Amino acid sequence: METDKNIKAKALAGTDPESAFDLLIEEHQRQVYSLALRLTGNQAAADDITQETFISAWKHLKGFRGDSSLKTWLLRIAANKVRSYWRWKKLRSWVGLGPRDGEEGAPALQDLLADRPEDRPEAAALAADLERRVQAAISLLPPRQREVAALRAQELSVAEIAAALGMAEGTVKAHWFEARKKLEASLGEYL
Amino acid sequence: MKDDEKEKKLISLLAVRRPEAFWQRQRNAITGAAAQSRGSSRAWLLAPAAAAAAVLVVFLARLPGPAPAPETQIVSTAFLEHLDLLDDMDVLEAVPENEL
Repeated sequence: METDKNIKAKALAGTDPESAFDLLIEEHQRQVYSLALRLTGNQAAADDITQETFISAWKHLKGFRGDSSLKTWLLRIAANKVRSYWRWKKLRSWVGLGPRDGEEGAPALQDLLADRPEDRPEAAALAADLERRVQAAISLLPPRQREVAALRAQELSVAEIAAALGMAEGTVKAHWFEARKKLEASLGEYL
Repeated sequence: MKDDEKEKKLISLLAVRRPEAFWQRQRNAITGAAAQSRGSSRAWLLAPAAAAAAVLVVFLARLPGPAPAPETQIVSTAFLEHLDLLDDMDVLEAVPENEL
């Protein structure tokens, strides 16, 4: 929360907007990208959504009232962009257009390689397999449960998820309960 | 296994893991795209100024030109140094097109 205040203060003061923007990305990039990836199941789309989320947020930062944290605000923008992505996908298939060229769901192998060279390539193969299984399990969930599960995976509290998705806390709890049951059934061997 | 522990394990399983190089690459891509979008928004801001400049140029072009200035006798050193290049140009211009 302190960092959020710093980012906004720096951005509004206009003294060092570049470093404030870098800080905003560094602080929240992992959560925004993870949410986009888990909700689309598509690496390229997740990259685009992450980029658009930060650019939109930056443009509208002055309008951010600070009622919620910067994190939940960003995740809300990202979730809205994911919804637009699905609407766009539906529209494309409705008019008979297939997926765009270069639209690939699976991540590139180099993106799964561990930071330490001695952990490669066995770790990459295992990570790729696990990634596929987890993504498949999440993709089987109904949209609302998927959103709640993807946000819970970012270690957001029920209250934060409710703020990010504009839902009541009770609804979030019910969706998470259902999603958890299904995920535990699909991924039982890893638990 | 306790329910809380099981939930923690599930949450950890659902997390997306990428090496640091991936995040760095993505950060660069985002800042690059943001700079581009800022550039294009500034281009829109410059559009009225560009239009006013174009009108001014047209207006000035319609005005009667000033009296021709007397030929200056000053020959700069740079001009003398580039006479060789001009020479080459003369040669090139003199060669018929089909021989070039």
